[in-house]
Amino acid sequence: MKKKMNRRTFLKYSVAMGATTTIAGFPAILRSQPKEILIGSVQPVTGPLADIGIACRRGNQMAVDEINAKGGIKSMGGAKLRLLLGDSEAKEEVGRSEAERLIKDGAVCIVGPFMSGIAMAIATLCEARGIPFVIDIAAADAITQRGYKYTFRCFSTVSTFMSNMGEYIAQIVKEKGVTIKRIGVTNTGDLFGRVQGKAWIDYIKAKKLPFEADVVEHIEYPVGVADLSAEVAKVKVAKPDILCPVTRPGDAKILVRELFKQRVELLGIVSPGAPGLYEPEFIRDMGKLADFVLNNVPWVNPRSPKFREINERFAKLYPGKYVDTNSGYAYLGVMVIADALDRAKSTKPEDLLEALRKTNYKENPMVGGAVQFAANGDNLNASSAMIQILKGEIKVVLPKVAAEAEYVFPTPQLWER
Amino acid sequence: MIIEPSYILQLTVSGFLMGGVYSLIALGLSLIFGVMKVINFAHGAMLVWGMYISLTIMRLTGIDPFFSFVASAAGLFIIGYFIQRIVVNRIMTFHESMQVIAMVGVMMILENMAQIIWGPDPHSPHTKYSLSTVWLGGVMIDVPRLLAFWIAILIATLVFLFLKYTDLGKSIRASADNRTGALLVGTDVNKVYSACFGIGAACVGVAGALLVPLIPTSPHVGFPFKLTSFCIVILGGMGSLPGAMIGGLMIGVAESLGTIFIPSSLKQVISFSIMVLILLLRPRGLFGGKGS
Repeated sequence: MKKKMNRRTFLKYSVAMGATTTIAGFPAILRSQPKEILIGSVQPVTGPLADIGIACRRGNQMAVDEINAKGGIKSMGGAKLRLLLGDSEAKEEVGRSEAERLIKDGAVCIVGPFMSGIAMAIATLCEARGIPFVIDIAAADAITQRGYKYTFRCFSTVSTFMSNMGEYIAQIVKEKGVTIKRIGVTNTGDLFGRVQGKAWIDYIKAKKLPFEADVVEHIEYPVGVADLSAEVAKVKVAKPDILCPVTRPGDAKILVRELFKQRVELLGIVSPGAPGLYEPEFIRDMGKLADFVLNNVPWVNPRSPKFREINERFAKLYPGKYVDTNSGYAYLGVMVIADALDRAKSTKPEDLLEALRKTNYKENPMVGGAVQFAANGDNLNASSAMIQILKGEIKVVLPKVAAEAEYVFPTPQLWER
Repeated sequence: MIIEPSYILQLTVSGFLMGGVYSLIALGLSLIFGVMKVINFAHGAMLVWGMYISLTIMRLTGIDPFFSFVASAAGLFIIGYFIQRIVVNRIMTFHESMQVIAMVGVMMILENMAQIIWGPDPHSPHTKYSLSTVWLGGVMIDVPRLLAFWIAILIATLVFLFLKYTDLGKSIRASADNRTGALLVGTDVNKVYSACFGIGAACVGVAGALLVPLIPTSPHVGFPFKLTSFCIVILGGMGSLPGAMIGGLMIGVAESLGTIFIPSSLKQVISFSIMVLILLLRPRGLFGGKGS
C-alpha cells in the first residue's frame, strides 16, 4: 500500500516524535542535576534600546554560565543557576509586568533593568512581593531613597556621576589652561536622561565648579529621535565652549554627525556620563568623528585581571564586541547575586536579603573598589572614570591612578580631522 | 530672545528637505488608505525593511543607498504585494478595530523579523557623501538630505504619472472612487488592490533607502515616522495624494521651526496640534475631496 504523507499524518508523526523526545529527555536532566536556582533578568531587549538591552542580557548570561561552569552554587550542593529572560521593551509598565511574570515563574531574585524609570517600577514591585532586586544598571538617586529593603544597586548614582564629572572637568581646565565659560547641555527625555541632564545643570548653576561657567543652552529631545538638525542649529547659535550630551545609542550618532555638518565649534564634547558614545557600534560607524569624545562613565577597570578574563571570553563569544559599562555591570550584578546565594546557603528571600546586605564582593571588573552595600542599598564603592576615544580605541584617561593614556583637550574640530 | 535670520532659514531648509522624505512615506500610506480604506499600521516597519535592504546591499556590494533605493522599492513591492494577498485581502470588509489588530500583528512580525535578521544595533554606515554639505551664506544644506528630497519628489511624480496615464493606474483610481462601479465594469479588483498595496509599500521602501545616510537604521526606528505620516495624511486629506505631498513638506517645516518656541522633547506636539486643528476646522483635510 502506498501512503502519501498528507498534513494530518505529518502532524501525527510530529506530535509523536515530540512526545518521545520529551519523555526520553526528561529523566536524564532530573537525575543529573541538583535543584536549579532561577534568577529573573529584565532588560530592554527590544525597542529603542535593544542593542544595549541585548548587551546587558549577554552580561547577565555570561555570569550565569561562569558560575555553572565552575560547579554552581557550592554551598547548595552545586545547584545550577538559570536566567529567566524578561524584556522590558524600554517601557516602564512592560518592565514591571515582566518582573511580575518572572517572580511568578519562580525567580528568587530580579536583576536588571538598565533604565531608571523601570528600576523604580520594579523596586516597588519587589518590595511588595518580598523578592530581592539587584540593580545592575540604573543611576537615578531616587530609586534607593524610598526606604526600600529589598533593592540593591551595583551602579553609580547620578550624584556620584556629577561630583566625579565636576572634579575631572576642573582637573582638565587646570592642567590644560583652557577657559570653559559657556556650557551647552543636551539630554534625552527619558527618566535617566532628564535626571542626568538636570543634575549636571544644577551642579553648574550651584557654582560647584571651581571656575566661572554657565549653561547657555539646554535641549531635551525624545529617545528614538530621527532628526536633530533643528536642535543642533540651536546649539550653534548659543556658541558653547563645550557640549555635554546625555545620549542613547541612536541619537548619539545623529548628534555628532549634525555637529559636524553644521560646523559647530567646540573645545570638546564632554558627556557627564551617558551610553551611546562608547559602544563598539558608535566607533564602527562614526570613524574619525568618534575620536576625542570624552565621557564620564562607570567604566571597566583596564587593570583588573577579572576584566581581562571576561573581556576575552566576551569577545570570543560575540566577535567585534567588548565588555563595556553595560555588559560589565550586567555581569557584575549576577556575580553579586551568586556570591550572596553562596553565603546564604538558601534561596529564601530573608536569607538572601541578609547575605546581600553583608556583600563584600572583591572581584570587581569595573572601576571602583569591592561591592559593598550601604543601608539604602547603594554600592558604596561605585565610581566613574573619564574615558576618551583615541584612534578608535577607548582609553581611561582620568583619574590618573587608572589612566591608560594622556587625554587630548581642547579636541580638534570634527571637520578638521 | 534674539533670533538670527540665518538660524530661521537654517531650520526652514532642514525641515523642508526632511519634509520631502515625510511626503514620500505619507504618499504610500495615503495611497493604500485611499484605495483600500485600510490603515496600514505596518507602515513604519515597512520603512525599516526598506532601510535594511539598502543597508545590506551597501554592506555587501558598496552600492550607495541613493542608487540601491530601486532594490528597496522592488523588495518592498513584493512584501507589500504578499501582505495584501495574505492579510489585508481577508480583513478588508471587517470593522476598523479588527483591521487594526491584524495590521499591528503584521507590524510586530516585520519589526521583530528585522531584529532577528539584522540584530538590534543601530547602523549608520559611512557613505561617500553622508557628511558632505553645501553652504549658502550662513545656511548649511545637507547633501544627503538634498538628494533624498529630490529623489522623493521624483518618485512621487512618477507615482502620479503612473496613476494618471497607465491602465493599471486608472483602475486603481477607479477602484478608489467607486469599488462597486469598478467591479461592474469588469476591473480585477483583487489584482488592483495587490498592485496598489505593493506600490504604497514601494514608496515607503524608497523613503527607507533615502533615510539610510541620514539616521541610524535599527529595527524600531520606524515608529515616529509612522506617527508623523498619520498626521500628514490627516492634514492633507485621507487618501489625497497631493495632500500627502504638501502636508509632508508643511509638517517638516513646522516641526523644525517649532523647536524655537517649544522644547524638542515636545516636537510631536506640533504635528499632533496641527492634526487636531485640522480635524476640528476642516475634517476632510486640506485637499480632501467631497467623496473622501
